[in-house]
Amino acid sequence: MKSIKLKVNQIAFEVLIDEHECLAGVLREKIGLTGTKVGCEQGSCGACTVLVNDEPVLSCITPAIRCDNSEITTIEGVANNGELHLLQQKFIEKGAIQCGFCTPGMIMTSYNFIKKNHNASIDDIKEALSGNLCRCTGYKKIIEAVAETMSIESKTDNSENNYPKKNNIIGHKKPYIEAAKKVQGTAEYVDDIKIKNPLYCKFLRSTYPHAIIENIDISSAEKIDGVKYILTGKELTRKFGVLPISRDETALAIDKVRYIGEIVAAVAAESTEIAKEACRKIKVAYKPIRPFLMMDESLYDINENEKIHLDSKFKNNIHKIAELNFGDYKNELSKSEYTSKMDFEFEGLTHAFTEPHAAVAYWDENGLTIITATQVPHYLHRALSDVLEVPLSRVRVIKPYVGGGFGGKSDPFAHEIIVSHIARKTGRPVKVRFSREEVFINNHGRHPTKMTMEIGLNKDKELSALNADIVIDGGAYGSFGIVTSYYNGVLLQAPYKIDNLGFKTTRVFTNKPQCGAMRGHGAVNSRFAVESLIDDLAYQSKIDPCELRLKNFLDSNTITVGQYRITSNGSRESLLKVMEQSGWKDKYGKMPFGKGVGAGCGFFISGSALPIIRNELPQSVVHLKVDFDGRVVISSGSSDIGQGSDTMLAMVVAEVLGVSMDKIFVLPCDTITNPVDLGSYSSRVTFMAGNAAKMAAENLKKEITLSILKNKSISNKRLIFSEDKIHDEKNEISLTWNEAIDIALAGRGAISVSGHYISPKLGGNFKGAGAGLSPSYSFGAVIAEVDVDIKTGLLKVENIWGAHDCGIAINPLAVEGQLEGSWHMGMGQAVSEQLKYFKGLILNGNFLDYKIPTSLDIPEMHTNIIETNDPEGPFGAKECGEGAIHPIIPAIANAIFDAVGVRITKLPITPEEILLKMKKVSLIKEAEIES
Amino acid sequence: MISDKIYLRPNSVKEALEIAQDHSDDFCFLAGGTDVMVNRFQGNETSSCIIDLTGITEWNQVKIIPDKYLSIGPLVKLDELNNFEAIRNEFPVLIEAAKSVGSPLIRKTATLGGNILCENRCIFYNQSEWWRESVGYCLKCDGSVCIATGSKKHCYSEFVSDTAPALISLDAMIEIIDEDGERLMKLEDIYSGDGTNPKILKKASLIKSILLPLNNQFRSVFKKLRLRKSLDFTSLTTAVTVNANGRLKIAVGGVDPKPVVIEGTVNSDLEELIVYVLKKSRAIDNEMFTRKYRRDMIRVFLTQSFETLL
Repeated sequence: MKSIKLKVNQIAFEVLIDEHECLAGVLREKIGLTGTKVGCEQGSCGACTVLVNDEPVLSCITPAIRCDNSEITTIEGVANNGELHLLQQKFIEKGAIQCGFCTPGMIMTSYNFIKKNHNASIDDIKEALSGNLCRCTGYKKIIEAVAETMSIESKTDNSENNYPKKNNIIGHKKPYIEAAKKVQGTAEYVDDIKIKNPLYCKFLRSTYPHAIIENIDISSAEKIDGVKYILTGKELTRKFGVLPISRDETALAIDKVRYIGEIVAAVAAESTEIAKEACRKIKVAYKPIRPFLMMDESLYDINENEKIHLDSKFKNNIHKIAELNFGDYKNELSKSEYTSKMDFEFEGLTHAFTEPHAAVAYWDENGLTIITATQVPHYLHRALSDVLEVPLSRVRVIKPYVGGGFGGKSDPFAHEIIVSHIARKTGRPVKVRFSREEVFINNHGRHPTKMTMEIGLNKDKELSALNADIVIDGGAYGSFGIVTSYYNGVLLQAPYKIDNLGFKTTRVFTNKPQCGAMRGHGAVNSRFAVESLIDDLAYQSKIDPCELRLKNFLDSNTITVGQYRITSNGSRESLLKVMEQSGWKDKYGKMPFGKGVGAGCGFFISGSALPIIRNELPQSVVHLKVDFDGRVVISSGSSDIGQGSDTMLAMVVAEVLGVSMDKIFVLPCDTITNPVDLGSYSSRVTFMAGNAAKMAAENLKKEITLSILKNKSISNKRLIFSEDKIHDEKNEISLTWNEAIDIALAGRGAISVSGHYISPKLGGNFKGAGAGLSPSYSFGAVIAEVDVDIKTGLLKVENIWGAHDCGIAINPLAVEGQLEGSWHMGMGQAVSEQLKYFKGLILNGNFLDYKIPTSLDIPEMHTNIIETNDPEGPFGAKECGEGAIHPIIPAIANAIFDAVGVRITKLPITPEEILLKMKKVSLIKEAEIES
Repeated sequence: MISDKIYLRPNSVKEALEIAQDHSDDFCFLAGGTDVMVNRFQGNETSSCIIDLTGITEWNQVKIIPDKYLSIGPLVKLDELNNFEAIRNEFPVLIEAAKSVGSPLIRKTATLGGNILCENRCIFYNQSEWWRESVGYCLKCDGSVCIATGSKKHCYSEFVSDTAPALISLDAMIEIIDEDGERLMKLEDIYSGDGTNPKILKKASLIKSILLPLNNQFRSVFKKLRLRKSLDFTSLTTAVTVNANGRLKIAVGGVDPKPVVIEGTVNSDLEELIVYVLKKSRAIDNEMFTRKYRRDMIRVFLTQSFETLL
């Protein structure tokens, strides 16, 4: 140990450190400045950036001892006595923050940049930020915030979004209510929370993909000083899984392991180091079983003992076959004037949120409390109650700020169950935080997929038939996989009218980390296929691909072939908007070789109409409470994970009550106070929790109105709630908000009301009819412009013109952020991201080799919000967080076809594949010329 | 637990070498540390003694040795190279190469000496200890077989320095200092071609300075293959330089355990040069780009470089 002196944010510290400790740990653990985040521990993500003697450094790979006698500035030192720096103000104002986990690093890098560069360009800013990864924003708003701080003009098309301002709050760009905390590093994520006397948990993970566990020897690990508890699978035998129909997981492997990385033992100790050391000392004897690593292998019948799940009803490693047929696609395809059929392949992807999973659990007079980075406190609440055999009333789930999810924090997880169990057994709080590698191993991301799809165009140029045969690789467990299987097919029944549609999805188990839900769940890969095929049909039939789409869109207020009820539908407006904005007609087919444009459209659910666990409860309930101080407190379990849903709730309530946002307070998500809400998945929060909040606010308004009328002895009069006042049309009654609250609370002291949302009964009566049912659907379109280097095959996406129908944008700032973030993630899947495996082991489980786009890889994004005013959405709103990812990926591939004449059917698109296909095409052409 | 960890930050070269000697094999030198610290995090570098060289302030300088050399201190940070007029004027390709390394944040800490000596990489090696245990340790981490090729003899971990190919193409010499004293070497001569032990230098050898010959009217083209425009290590780096006398020097990184270096003249048969580079490049499938693609790109990059220069 060694003592060093640090001056941190102008305060002198003398700290005792381990000689090899890095600065990030010292700042967070020893000095308590947890604003500095640790996202990768390998200097790749930039979340840990701090200034040392006025130079930015990656504190996770900087030896602390080197900083002896240095001056350090962390995110906590940027504001001056509570007064935010202009840069921080701009981050808030421009919406440059979503989950906020990358924000401290992003601000430190920019803070240094603006100080040292006075004549910078937008390109210089992009360059400067290119060592800080952000997964939420697509960087656009961050770049704008830095540019505005430096008074640089940035090109932005958002000015075109002139949203109607008929409301006081809805439709106005509002920074997130918690944004000021996030720019100062004071927003607490799980790992930032200080807990008294905790134990630290580490896991021993399987080194075999498929093996019998013959013995676990913990004898030498137990002897290590500081080891408090060693847990193996036999203690926790109850199975769990997010879907009741596939509860196939246990918290730790029992008897056998099903993938490399599965948890075999857990150690809780006085320090992380001790727990790690003990894990190394545990000896596990395995007897390997034949591993199934490729999805094709899992389709064939095998010996009973080779099955990954012995209780499976199949004679192979198939998990689920989802199959539906509407109309007669076979007959219709045979009659089609043009058909297009292709094979597609998609690598698996992971969410790559910047905050690694973390949780802390403890037991007290309320039973179990777990603070965890989750999208679905409700499902975790139920899973913990079931697995640990504790009544629901004795489980409390707290969701603090969460550093992104994208579907990757929407299952109940083994680590959450394990720390809860060990906390019960030891009587001490137990903490866990994943390494970045563990986050990759935990996966639950997009399924690797192979599909063959065929689509027909009849003589009237109508898309008349579609058939898809799909295999998806689920990894070792079920997760959301059954839903994924259906979504791959059912979500093809819009935005185009296709009357004859069939699909079969086979989900297989393999000995790899499980796949689950990821942004755009289930529909992204098949959307890529269908949009590629439509592009091909347009090419074959010599119709402009956008015109062909326009001709085939479903109308508003219609029923699809699989009995989805389509209400608002902005497909047409979206596509027309981006056609006009991109100059499509002047570009398509007219650009020089190597450059091209392509289009794609999208369609997604706006909240699943059915709850995962069948019950009669509403899908969302929101409580509102007003006390003597006039403040309205919102309590909801909808789980803001950085997408801005707490702000949305506050805006909805403020709008209904006609009060300013500063009278609204959103309680943190905590199941001890929150009513039921299914959480943040399936793009449901704005639609469902938004509607519940609206109903709650209307109920509160009624209560207040009744009290005032009673007080004034008026039997019936309409009161107007507006601008913090309550009055009637003639202003005979005119009260300030607080005067009204005094009247309403007289004699009772408080008002509590609730609102709820239940989806209407929807859909058909056939098996599988429930899949993809939603009270509303979102639509959108993207046109991409690409530049292909014809010598290297390297692809540059130059422009993205995107439009998304979100009904009404409650908060246009947040909606733009969701769209730009979706396009960023879509870009990643299109051109650079994939999970690669070697013998079942993730080969690129880090941010160097899993390549999420940097600020330099992002094209110009032209963001358009299309408003269609959904009849059932709160103030006409519907989803915007997932649907926008669908169109961008095929738009890029279609642009490549326009640029160089090759059809890409594998994702990610590699330069090698482009060159290979170009070569084939030119060989074909040469052969044609010769003949 | 009682810690045997040591971290020392000497102020002189002499002191640094003495400490190294005291700790026989159980030490590592640290310059910027952006490479070493990650290798330590992954358990590929486990020395109990870290000798941080950044206290040797005399190694931060760039000096002109009149009419002969530009001498660059090994601790000059990659980000700082652009601050020196002599580098900007005579060796702009070095700045270009340095700018292609890592991310802007990495370049503010990483040094030129560190980049020249950065550890070879392989996707089967740059992994956590648990990962390597699961797959079976490879030749580069004391195992008995190369995971990528199955070879029991040869490790083909990639040479990934971006600045070294640029420097080599500029005829860089380096001054080495160790217990045997000081000596001058051509930069390319320090690389062994053996992936497990990629440098011929002793563990306790240090680069004292990097020397670039002045007044050669170098013209250079630098190219780096990577999927993203930031962060990524190289998958192929080519540096081609022509000097005043029409001598052509090609240095290629990312496709072999050491830089592939070939000399010719502006009158050489260029196709022959390319074939020769391809012959010497022992790229294998050990990263995100395939071996085949990287080899194909050698031809593309060199052809494009020749077109620009000749």
